[in-house]
Parts: sequence; structure tokens; C-alpha cells
Amino acid sequence: MSTAGPQGPPVAVHQFVPTLNPHDATGTHTLLLRDILRGAGWRSEIFAEAIHDDLAVEAHKYWMYPDHAAPGDVHIYQFSTSSAVAGFLAERTEPLIVDFHNFTGPEHFTGWEPHTEDRAARAHDELVLLAGRAELGLADSHFNERDLRRAGYHRTSVIPVLVDYGRVGTGSPPDERVAAELARAHARGGADILFVGRIVPSKAQHELVKALWAYRRLYDPLARLHLVGGTSSFGYLKALRGFIAELGLADAVRITGEVSDSALAAYFAAADVYLSLSAHEGFGVPLIEAMVAGVPVVARDVGAVAETVEDAALLLPASDPSFIAAAVRRVCTDEVLRQRLVEAGRRRVPMLSLDAIAPKVVAAVATVAGAPR
Amino acid sequence: MTATPASPEMAESEPAAVTDPQAYVAQVMAEIEEEVRLRRTSGDLPPKLERELDELFLAHSPVAGRGGDLTEALRMVDAATFVDPVVPVDSERAAGAVVKKGMRTVLLWYVGWITHQVSQFASAVSRTLHIVEGRLKELERKVEVQRVPSAGVVELPAVHGAEAWWVDPAVDAVKSTPGRIVHAASGDGWLVRKIIAAGGDAYGVDPRTNLVDQGVLTVSDLRGEDLADHLRAVAPAGLGAIVLSGVVDGMASGEREQLLRLIAVTLAPGGVLVVHSLSRSSWDSADAPYEADLAPGRPLRADTWRQLLDQNGYQATVSSGPGEADYLVTAVRATLPPSEPTLAR
Repeated sequence: MSTAGPQGPPVAVHQFVPTLNPHDATGTHTLLLRDILRGAGWRSEIFAEAIHDDLAVEAHKYWMYPDHAAPGDVHIYQFSTSSAVAGFLAERTEPLIVDFHNFTGPEHFTGWEPHTEDRAARAHDELVLLAGRAELGLADSHFNERDLRRAGYHRTSVIPVLVDYGRVGTGSPPDERVAAELARAHARGGADILFVGRIVPSKAQHELVKALWAYRRLYDPLARLHLVGGTSSFGYLKALRGFIAELGLADAVRITGEVSDSALAAYFAAADVYLSLSAHEGFGVPLIEAMVAGVPVVARDVGAVAETVEDAALLLPASDPSFIAAAVRRVCTDEVLRQRLVEAGRRRVPMLSLDAIAPKVVAAVATVAGAPR
Repeated sequence: MTATPASPEMAESEPAAVTDPQAYVAQVMAEIEEEVRLRRTSGDLPPKLERELDELFLAHSPVAGRGGDLTEALRMVDAATFVDPVVPVDSERAAGAVVKKGMRTVLLWYVGWITHQVSQFASAVSRTLHIVEGRLKELERKVEVQRVPSAGVVELPAVHGAEAWWVDPAVDAVKSTPGRIVHAASGDGWLVRKIIAAGGDAYGVDPRTNLVDQGVLTVSDLRGEDLADHLRAVAPAGLGAIVLSGVVDGMASGEREQLLRLIAVTLAPGGVLVVHSLSRSSWDSADAPYEADLAPGRPLRADTWRQLLDQNGYQATVSSGPGEADYLVTAVRATLPPSEPTLAR
């Protein structure tokens, strides 16, 4: 426990993060948490190994921290991948909170990205390294909490990831050009199936392509699949494109790359169903975004997916193409089921809203930093 | 959002069913499974075709399939050794192609210089790998005669069926486990059906794809793959229980150790491992299946299993079948220390 004296300046709760990006879950979480910490009365800055150009004014390079250090500082490490920041924090003496967002295990990159496989293995070692230093481990989900405890964290709490879900809801009107394109395609018939996530082996976009192939063959020859998200796995992307072409689905599968918030809102607005067949999910922010947008969710039950969606998705135990196709068909054609999923989603979203999560995260941080002044 | 017309096979749910959400979802899932079964039975989408989709995708992967052929992988390395500096200039936007072409022209002297060196480096790596491949092949030829084959599935009709003595205790041990339950070797899904009927969330794995193809007509979640390969693809602590029958009996010690390591990773704390094995006397009897003769190993004694599992953090109990022809080991994996109360929800 570490707090400044009653007459001293407010205690600072600084965050460290491997990479501060504007469009990924960890980056968004870090920025929102910084605002929450400041709002609660703590001083708070962000220190990162890599900082996206758009966020250059929001953070400092982590090795500059000693210039900012003050007695009573508390550190929060946003752990999402291997980084030199972990080694840096291991050498420091300030009280540490590890906020664990999980990382995709090396097994998911085997044969695809040798450097990423190695990095994932290092991430696990770093998680263990920091266990002895951390006074508290925070996890997005009970699934992630289990990993924390396995890594040696004895004091843990579950606090869902902070997300401003407004970017796909009322906060961001759909991009008109994208919306018009999607509307033209929709007018020709066929369901629109959506998945949002980085194109990497663990997100298993190839399983989505297989499901689309089966769905078109069995039920709806005009159905389309939209894969929204950038990639860091070009080998996987190339294989995916080859697979799509070989199945004759080049006109039916759209790989968008990274898109703006307004374009993302247009994809959600046009989707008949949100389908996730990921092999690994530590939380699954887009599942909740689909609920915000009123899109029914069908998802493979892996990792933290079940606790993220609770009863607001049709959870599937397997990813057999025929099984997935039948489930998607059911959601597209059964209005009762569809409404039930959408309504359950609307009930689920407020539980994960900033208003709901912020007091919990402040309470958790206060157990290490003391009450803010 | 509009949806395409419903197929005749799939009736729309009755709104009344929504009053009990859990029962409603269970009903929907059952109807989906029935729909899949009908489709498969009718030949609309045979399981074999679904497997071919996997093979088709793996053909595009950089390793030409997990654990794929080295020669084929090297062919892909060779194909990728040349780095083309002349980037495509197609564009969906007017004038985009012109702008891109202009940039390409301006940058080509620089990019071309870099890519030439990268191509040279890649060619050198490729040549080296071909030399390594040649030497590996030579080594493989020499060690081939000492190779230990993988154990196949060894089953006796009398003890590997729904009526066998050990089936009910095995189902009781796993049916309430939180998390998924995998049975290997699942055959046509006879034990998977029993576990599901008892309330467990089970699926099956079996390398004998002919049996899996028959089974998927009645059980939707059967996978035609080797157990070890399957466990490598499962997330850590992703399984609530693992039931093994006909799998471990003839394993060589190395293969068995590898399997136990995989189970240690994939079985959740507090999860249940059930092992059914023939005894050594059954293994050596005249009516033992021919696979027993061909297997690289012999069944362990039941107490050896108990010892082995106890040493690896399980609490194991053993029961023997009639005439000690076979035995059942039920082991519960140690749990982690209890979690502190959470702040979520």
C-alpha cells in the first residue's frame, strides 16, 4: 500500500502499455482508464514502448518515466503482449497492478508467424516475471483471471475492458459511401454476415469462409461475408485470400482492412448476423459492439466468449461448417430467436458500459493506491 | 435488415417457448442439430466434403499443412525467394492507379535495390535448407528401421460399447463437469451420446474417419482427427473432462508421456480425466484384436496409472472390470487456490 501524506500532492497512478494504438482494445482501455483515474482525483500519465502518431501527445516513452517519478507513485501495467516495458517494471520498486488483457498463445501462430510465436512465448514468461511484483492482478474476464492465477498472481479481480461502445451506436453515424455500397449489394438479395477483428490465425477467419461456403451451398447462394479489420499476419492473409479464390468466393467475401469508426458503424448497421468463430478470445469487444448495434450474435464458445455475451448470443460448441451454417440460417430466419438475441444484447450492454465499470476499477485501484484525494 | 426466406425444414420457434430462456435455447440448439443431421443424411453436405475444406485451406498455409511435408514447404520457400519490387498499381478510385504508378516509378530505384538484396538472402537460405533437407532424408532412411509407430485404437466389442460395465461410472464422473468433455476414441459417438443424454457437454475425437462419418449423422460434434493433434489446438485449460478409451492401451512410453503433457495443459483445474484400458491378460488373449499385436506398447497395470497420475497432481481411483479383463481410472486434477471475491457485476 502506498499513498502520499495528507499534506502532499495527489498520489499518481501511472499506466504503462506496450503499444498505445487508437483503434485497439488495449489502447482504448488505457486512454479511458487514464481519464477515469484523473476524474477520481489521481494524477495519471501513460508511458508506452510504441506510440501511434495520432496519440503522440497522449503518452510518453516508457524510458522517460524516471523524469516523472515521484514518491508514492503507483503503476498499472496494461499487459497484452511481450514488451521491454515488462522488464523495465520488474526492476522498479513502485507498487504495481497488472491489468491483464490476455495474449494469444504461441500455438495459434505455429507454422504461420515464427516471430509472433516466439513473442507469445516470451509474453507468458513476462507475465510470470511480474507476478512476484504485482500487488493486484486485474483481468478482463474470469477466463483471463484463471491465466493470472496460474501465472502466480494471488490477489486478482475481474473488471471488464473499458470501451466506449458509442462508436458503433449513436455516437458515430454510418459512413454514407460504405452504407450505400452495402445497401446496393443487399438489394440484390442474400444475407450479410459480419466479423470484426484482426486477420490472424487465432481469429480463424478461414472458419468463417468455410461456414459461408456451406451456408451458400445449403441455404443462400447470394450470402456475403464481411471481414473487417487489419492484419499483422500477412502469411495468414495470403492463405485466406487463396482459399477464398479457390472456393469461388472472391465476390462474396470482402476483406476491408482497417476502417474508420463511421465505416464500422455502417458494417454493423447492414449486418444480418455477427458471426465469431475465433479459436481464442480473452474478452471479445466486437461481440458487445454487435449488441450495441442491434445485430444478433452467433459465436463459437471458446475462451471468455460465454462470459462476455452471457445469454445474448447463440453459442456454438463446434465450428463444423454445416453446423455453423444451420445456426446462422436459424438466426436469419427465426424472428423470435432474432428478437430474443437482440433484446438480450440490449440488456447486456449497460452492464459493460463505462458508467458501470468505472466505479469498480476505481475501487480496485484504491486498494493499492489508497483513496484518491 | 432483411433475411432470406426460411427453409421448409426449419420451423419458426413458438413465442411461448421464450418464457424459459434456457429451455428455449436448448430447444433451438436441438433443432439446429436435427437440421444438420438431416442435411448430412440427405447428402447435401457430406462430412467428407467438410474435411476436404480443411485440407484445401491447409494447402494454402505457409507450412503446407501443420507438420506438413518438408519438400512441399521448401517448394513454397523457393516460390517466395524472389521479392518483386514492381508493386501492383490497381485502384478502386479514379486517378489512384496513376498516382500509385507515379510513386512506384519514383521509388523503384530505392525499393529495387533493397528487394534485390532480400531476394539474394532468401535464395541463400533456400539453398541451405535444401542441403539440410537432403541430409535429413539420408538420416531418415537410416533410422526408419528403428521407428516407433503411433499406437492405433484398440477396441474389443465386449468392453467398448454403451453396455459395458465402466460406461455408467465414467459418465457419472464427467457429466457435471463445467466445461466441454472430449471422448477419444469416440468411434461413432456411442459414449458422446450417453454423456450428452446425462447432461454433459460432450464431443468426440477419433482418427478413424470412416466411423466419424457414420457418427456425425446422429451426433453433430465428432472430429476425425488424432487426439494429440486435437489437444494441441485446444486452448489451455479449455476442457472440463477427458475420457480416453481404446487410446492409451498400446501406446509407447514416449507417446504416453506426450499425451499426459498435453492433457496437463488442456484440462482445467478441477477437471476430470477418465482412462479406460484393457488389462495385460486381455491384451495377450487369443481374441484380442490384431491391432494389439501391432501396437508399440502394452497396457500399464491399473496401479501404475494411479501412481503416474498421483505424481502429476491428480487424485486417482481405480476400479477393475469383471474377470479383471479391463479397468477404469478416474482422476480429478488439483484445483488452484480459491479466487478472491471479484469486483465484476
